[in-house]
This record gives sequence, C-alpha cells and structure tokens, in this order.
Amino acid sequence: MIRFLALVCCISLPLWSQAQDFFTISGKVQDQENGEVLIGATVFSPANALGATTNDYGFYSLSLPPGDSVLIEYSFIGFQTREIRLQLDKNIHLDVELSSGVQLDEVTVKANSFQDQLRSTEMSVDVLTTKEVKAIPALLGETDILKTIQLKPGIPSGSEGTTGLFVRGGASDQNLIELDEALVYNPNHLFGFFSTFNTDAVKDLKLFKGGFPAQYGGRLSSVIDVKLKEGNSKHLAGSGGIGLISSRLTLEGPIKKDDASFIVSGRRTYVDIFTRAINRAQADNPDYNPIPDYFFYDLNTKINFKAGEKDRIFLSGYFGRDVFGFDGDFFNFDFDWGNSTGTVRWNHEFSPKIFSNTTFTYSDYQYNIQNALTGFRFNLGSNIRDANFKSDFYYAASNRHTFQFGLQLTHHDFTVGRLRAGSTDGVVSFSSGQNFSGWEWGAYISDEWTIIPRLKVNAGLRLSGFYTGQTSYWGLEPRFASSLSLSDRWSLKASYARMNQYLHLVANAGVTLPTDIWYPSTANVKPQHSDQVAAGFSHLLGGQYFLTIEGYYKKLYNQLEFVDAAQLFVNDDLEQEFAVGKGRGYGLEISIEKKEGNLSGWIGYTLAFTERGEFRTLDPNGKFAQTGYFSPIYDRRHDISVVAIYDISRRLSATATFVYGSGDLRWLPVSRWTFQDVYGGSLQPVVPDYRERNNYRLPPFHRLDLGLVWRFFPKWGESDLTLSVINAYDRRNTFFLYFEPSFRKLVMGDIVIEVPDRIAARQVSLFPILPSITWNFKF
Amino acid sequence: MKNALLFLPIALAVMLAGCNLEKEVDIKLPETQERIVVECYLEPGAPINLLLTRSSGYFDPIPEDNLAFLNQTLVNGATVVIRSETGESYTLDNNLVFNQFTKKIFNYSSHLVAPIERGKTYSLEITLENGDLITASTSILPVVPIDSVVVEFNDTDTLARVLTYLTDRPNEDNYYRRMIQHSSLDTIPDQDFTTDDRFVEDVIVFGTPYDYGRGDTVINTIFHIEKAYFDFLESVQLAIASNGNPFAQPSPIISNVQGPNAMGIFTGLSYDRVVSFLPD
Repeated sequence: MIRFLALVCCISLPLWSQAQDFFTISGKVQDQENGEVLIGATVFSPANALGATTNDYGFYSLSLPPGDSVLIEYSFIGFQTREIRLQLDKNIHLDVELSSGVQLDEVTVKANSFQDQLRSTEMSVDVLTTKEVKAIPALLGETDILKTIQLKPGIPSGSEGTTGLFVRGGASDQNLIELDEALVYNPNHLFGFFSTFNTDAVKDLKLFKGGFPAQYGGRLSSVIDVKLKEGNSKHLAGSGGIGLISSRLTLEGPIKKDDASFIVSGRRTYVDIFTRAINRAQADNPDYNPIPDYFFYDLNTKINFKAGEKDRIFLSGYFGRDVFGFDGDFFNFDFDWGNSTGTVRWNHEFSPKIFSNTTFTYSDYQYNIQNALTGFRFNLGSNIRDANFKSDFYYAASNRHTFQFGLQLTHHDFTVGRLRAGSTDGVVSFSSGQNFSGWEWGAYISDEWTIIPRLKVNAGLRLSGFYTGQTSYWGLEPRFASSLSLSDRWSLKASYARMNQYLHLVANAGVTLPTDIWYPSTANVKPQHSDQVAAGFSHLLGGQYFLTIEGYYKKLYNQLEFVDAAQLFVNDDLEQEFAVGKGRGYGLEISIEKKEGNLSGWIGYTLAFTERGEFRTLDPNGKFAQTGYFSPIYDRRHDISVVAIYDISRRLSATATFVYGSGDLRWLPVSRWTFQDVYGGSLQPVVPDYRERNNYRLPPFHRLDLGLVWRFFPKWGESDLTLSVINAYDRRNTFFLYFEPSFRKLVMGDIVIEVPDRIAARQVSLFPILPSITWNFKF
Repeated sequence: MKNALLFLPIALAVMLAGCNLEKEVDIKLPETQERIVVECYLEPGAPINLLLTRSSGYFDPIPEDNLAFLNQTLVNGATVVIRSETGESYTLDNNLVFNQFTKKIFNYSSHLVAPIERGKTYSLEITLENGDLITASTSILPVVPIDSVVVEFNDTDTLARVLTYLTDRPNEDNYYRRMIQHSSLDTIPDQDFTTDDRFVEDVIVFGTPYDYGRGDTVINTIFHIEKAYFDFLESVQLAIASNGNPFAQPSPIISNVQGPNAMGIFTGLSYDRVVSFLPD
C-alpha cells in the first residue's frame, strides 16, 4: 500500500507543476429545463483537443492554456451542444445549462455519445435513463428500471418475473445496490415481480459488471448505482400515472429558484381495495375462501439547497413496505417487509480542481411475520440496520490525471431469525434469534491517467476490512481498467478487479425471498472475494451503431451453500448449515446499440458458463453429498435480448422487446422409494430421491412484449396512454415443475396400503398474454 | 411457523390455478442406478423386522398387478444379520410378513424376540445376492418419559387443548420425535415432527390448538431418537416438501447405512406413550 501511494505521488507531483501554466474552468453542467445536473456531459476544447466529462455530481474541471478567445463546447446526448468563448487568463467557475429539444447538429451529438464510450476506461457498464425505461413494455404497466437493466447482456435474471440478478455468474447477494448512495438490501416488491425503484423519482441507473472503480466495494459481482432526481429548481412540476394495479404521483419544484428544490414521489398498489370488497361481498358464503390482502407502497423524498457558492446539501429518504395479510376465522397471518433509507450529502468545491462528496446514510431492512392459529401465535423477523459515513474526493490534478480517493465506514447491526412462538397464554413458549454487529471499512485511491490521448488507464487500490468485535478481516483490492483507441471507430479495453464481500445472504439459490437472511462474516464464516478479468473491444459502425464485444473470467472464493437437509428457520447456530466452496464464471457478451434516430434500441447476446464446487461443511458432522463442481440454477448458457423503440411520429411510438434464454437448471429427483415408517407414522409411498444438484435443464425461455405509447400535448403539459402486451404470443414459460403422484390401494388380507399408481410431471407458468393500459401525465 | 411459509406457495398456486397456467409435461430425467433401501427399527421386547426394498426411476412404469409391484419393489435373497456389541448374532429370515396389528410389511424377520437392551450398540450386516455388503450400527437410547399430559378446555368452548410435558436429559444433545394422534395409532398423526433440545432449558412443553372434543382419545408419543435418525427424518420431510414448492431447497436423504448404492435407516426405538381419554 505504502509503495503504491509513493508511486502515485511520484507520478502526480510533476504534473501539478506542469499544471501551473494552465487555467482551470470548473463548475456544473445542468439541464436548462429543470436544473438537474447532467452526469457524463462532455466539456471539450477543440483548439487544444482537450476535454473532460462531468462526474456523478455534474461537476467538471478542465485545465487549458491561456487564451483570449478559447472556445469550449458543452455537449450531452439528447441536448443541444452549447459553445462558449472565454477569455482564459485566470481560473473560471462556470455553471452551464444545456437545453434539450431540437438538435442543431445531430450528427455531432450522436458521434460524441459513442465517442465518449469509445474513449472511456469504463467497461462492463450499462446505463439506463428513465426515458428508456418508460418506453419499454412493462408487466401490468409498471415500468421498472431494475427489470429493464436485465435486458442488457450479462445480467440474466432469476426465475421468470423476479428481479434477482445473477451478474456474470455471481449470486443474488453479490450486487451492491445503492439508492442515492444508501444501501438497499432488498430491491423487490411482491417477491420480486416489481422493484422498489419508482421510475418517476429515478434520474438514472448505472450498472457495473466488471472493471469496478475503486470507490465501490463490499459486493463481488455488480454495482447498481441508482440516482434520484434532485427536484426541478426552475418551476413547479408534477408527473404521475394511473395503471391497472397502482397509481403514482410525483411533485417537484423550487423552494428558492435555482438555489433550492424538492421532490416528493409516491406510489401505491390498490388491488387490495378490490379484493377486500370481494371478500366483504362474500362474507356470508360459507364455501368462500377469502383472498389474501396484498399491497405495497413507497415514498421518495429529496431536498437540496445551495449552502454557498461552493457548497450544496442534499437530504433524501426512501420508505417502502410490502404488506401481505390474511384474516380467517381460525388462522390469520400478517407478513410485511421493506426498506427505509436516509441520505445526507454535502458537495463541496475546495478549489477548481478539487471536489468532494461527503455522505451520511442510514439503511434499514426488516421483515416481520405474525401468525395466529386458535390459541397459538408466532412472530418471526429479521432486521439489518446500517449507519454509514463516506467521503469521496475528486481531484483533477491535470488534464492527464484525475485522482479519486476517499474512505468509508459502516456500522452493521443484524438481528437474525428472531422468533417468539407459543400458546397465547404463554404456557407453551419458545424463542430464538441471534444478534450481530460489525464495522465495515474501506479506503481507496485511483487515478484516471491519460498516458497518451489514445491510451487511458484507471488504476486504483482499495483497502477494506470488517471487524466483528472478536474477529477482524482485511484485504487489498487492486483495480485496473484501460482503454486504447485504435482509431475514431475502434477501441480495445481490458480490466481486472478484486472484490471483497463481508456479508452473506442466507438464501435458497435462485429464489429471492423477503425472508432471506443477511449474515455477517464471523470467525468461521470467512469473507467472500473474487477476481475478475475482462477484455473486449468497441467499434462504431457507420456512425450509428455501437458494437461491443467483451469476454470475462471470474473466480469466486468462500461461497456459501447449504448443507443437505439444512435447517434454515429457528436455528441459533446457522453456521452449522453452511458449506463453503468456490465458484467460477466465464463468458462472452456481445451488444449492438443504436441510440439516435426514429429507430433505437439494442441487441444483446451472452454466452456464459457458471460453476460452483469444492464445498466443505463448517460443521464436521454436516453433509454435502455433491462432490466436484456443479452448475447453479442460474447457469444460463445463451441469453438473447432485443429491444426496439420506433418513434412513428411525435405522438406515437411503438416498442418491442424479445428475450430468449436457455432454460435454468433445477434440482429434480432421479428416483423414488417408499418409506414405511414406524407404527403410528404415516406411510409415504413416494419419497423423491435427490442426488446431483441442479441436474435438469428447463426448456428454453422466450417471450415477446409489445408496447404502444400515444402522446397528447394538452395546454397544461403532456400525457400519454401506454399500452403494453406482455407475452404477446402467449408462451407458457416454466416457472416451476412439480410431480403429482396418484395412488391405488394394495390389499393383502386385512392390510391395505397405498402404493403409487402413476406419476405426472406438471409445469406451472406465471404469465399468460397480459395486456395493460396506463395513463401517464406530467405538467 | 412452517405453516406460514408454506402459505406462500399455496397462495401462489391458488392464484395460478385460476389462470389455467398449469399443464402436464413430459420430462426426461437423467439415467440413474437403483438404490437399495433399508428400514429397520430395534425395539426391546419386540421381534426384529427389516424391510429391504429398491428405489425406481422416478417415472418408471408401475406394475398394475400387486404381486408384480411387490416383486419389483422388494429385495429378496439377501442374508441379514444383526449383531450385538457382546457378539450375539441374530439372522433374519427372508419371509414376507404382514403385521396385522401395526399394518406394516417386512420381508426379513426373526422368529424369536431378540433380547434388545437399552444402552447397547447393535450392528447390521446385509449381504445381497450379488455379494454387495450393506452395514449400519445403532445404540438403543434410554426412554425420556412424558412427565404429564394436561388437557385444558377452553372457557367458552367445548374444545380442549393437550399439553405434553417432559424433562430434557441434562448435559447432552437430545433429539425427539413428537407424535400425537386422535383415537388410534392407525390414524394419520395430528402432529408428527422432530426437534432437538437446543432451545430448551429443562422442561419441554408440546401443545396443540383447541382441537379435541369431549370423549376423544388422544395418544401422545415421545420418541427419544439418535441424531442419525433425526437427520434421516428431517431429510425425508424436506425431500417430500420440496416437490412443488419453488421456494424450498430439496434435500438428499441423509442415511445411516453404508454400502454401494444403499440408503436407509437402522435405529433403535425408545419412546414413551400416554393415552388420554377426554371426559364426556
């Protein structure tokens, strides 16, 4: 570490002195319409052939030699390029606003958007804006940024309809999901059918599958960075929608024009209003089984204000809950779960070259199940609470070196499997549960180094650790990414990243449930870590089509699986149910993308191989019958996605998405046997015999979704009717399989036993063809 | 609590059934070798019986004729010997026995009641016709007696709950199987589950909902079981329960018999049983 820091200092010192002859232009690039900062906007000086891009907070810093009339171009995809001439004889602070609307020089903008991607050291990255998300057909009309990102190559989802992400062979707990920099532990509503991110409140989503920048740590396989809008600082605005299952409303506006703004956004499903009415109408029918109540809601709020020329403060919060309930005569059941997060963020410009972002966040995820059955009740819950401090510095030392460094400290507080159960009078009573706490920390430094204009390197080092009070772990995480532009149309990229992960999700592989438990590293449960290398190239085809091909190889260590016959609930010694092993994944991802013009979209293809193996049980008496390597259920060999958005006119757009994936794997029994049991016990004529894990591949999955957006432009603003047809050709994809034996009587004298007669395999699908309509508006 | 978690797939299945999203499909499972399954329980004062069967491919055709079915399922022609730790051995005869009382079937049994004693270890040796050797061993645990069975009627109702008290054996890891039945041991148990004593200080109380009426007969049985039997029963339950539940993780059978392609359970039975008659 010390050697590395010394190296960084040696490299950077001469550059600081070189920079003395230059003056720096710095500031923010914003959307003229609403004041939102633009992330990744380009600031370019054609005369000097020097440029910079805005960081995640819209800040840029560009150092140029002095001049009387220096031309600076500010550009961003979908916005008019703005040219400003400056007399550069001192450092200049300049906030610039760009306006969307008719492109004056469309070709330039198109080329720039892909040119930036070509030149950037970032690879294995996907970015989605809410505009793209809203154009794509969505289940029951509920647009979903997390579902849409799964249409990008390399990010297969879990089962149909779920948002479990398995990025490049990683497990579902290996995704760092941040909402305005606060960690979100469970990004799902309704067991994964919908995500917790309300598209109206989201500004954009950026997903890293590899080549992770050094400021991110704590998860092995992906970083999903969701940024909330800041709120319109120009005028009061609103948006919302009324759909089949939910309604949503967002209000935003200035508190003080250009200086302070707010945004409040909420949504709630209302299927429960109808199901309750049906239940009430059937209350007198003795044969009627009441429909369980279910709804979810979420609320996002954010306020930001200028606290001086160089300071801006942001306060944001998220609160969401799923509530599932059933109230019968003899049995009632309440199950609720959800996240809450809070963020206080302070942006400060120390100088034209140094920008900092300091964040305090709080995250909480909990679930609670209460169940009562005449005379008995139980209450089961788990909870994880994080308090986090993070400070990141961005230092544009010169036009060739941009340093980022910072540190992070998180306190985790876990309550695992808290159970109180027994009779209502307390005669029968038992309880279980464990509490853990730990400190997770990280410090990093990285340098984005333009060695020559065509060759860029981003080298970084992260040092991270975890302290439980008894046990301490730490690890070095080198990061490296490079980009070599061969021409204006070709670039080669390569990256390496080591990641450490100190938390583990105790979950059945492939299925994400609200009851999954987060478990910390302990003396016996070592932190996970991974090494990933990726290499690829990008090519701009005819100025419009952007082709990217990337290959990756990833090794994962200290991976958890469950032992055979694991007891996952009511267990104060969960560690004895764990087996620890390794994983590996490799594959190839190809994507071709078109962003501008009437027809836009992308085609993605992924070829992937994923394996896990060498598992050893933590409990010496534990059993893990599977030897060698095996495929996890999400080992999807081929994955194809096609997304097409066609703007027929200003008023009408048509969209289509098609997905095809090799079937996921399932662990099916290969044989059956009969268990007679002792006197008093029940004969089991068919007991499944499960042997090799994940031994059966389901049929391929494919689906076509269609959408039509019909826009209206009334005086008060804009509205549209969005028509979606999910599963347009009514394909019955497999959600799960089960076996249904039928029995007959075998009579021998006085003895009658049940024996199997026939066994049928049955497939359950989730979605038939599902049309929906949503009315959206904004003003 | 397990009821609560089972509720999710049930609710889902009800929803999906309404949309006609289910259909029968053909599945080709990987080829597999049959397994020999042993089931043998040693009980002091009872004859020794053993059931030796073979597993079938999951979708293998099932003979319609009962005799053909038994011939396909039962493994005959093996030599089965039980040995005590002091060297006595008991060879079981290969006879098909239908126990009229327990309604159970065995294909190996002893003529005599073997002197099985608590606290002793016994081993099992099965030599199949093809020469394969299957072995297992077990210790006969002491009985953990039921301290009391308390029947409590609800103040406002005619229904009663049944509380079963026992004292856990101190300073050792104990595993129990709790079974409660209405009327007779031939009925499907109202409760049948295994538990360990990790959450228990000394007294264990098992309870029922207010489900029993006046005049009912309630049979409480507490088996004191070995860890191997506990693991076996848990794995059997998980294997059965995971069929059709997409949220469950399947489990291979955790067996305590050793041998090529063999599985099953060889264990002693140590239980206390209390029959309660609820007042009219």
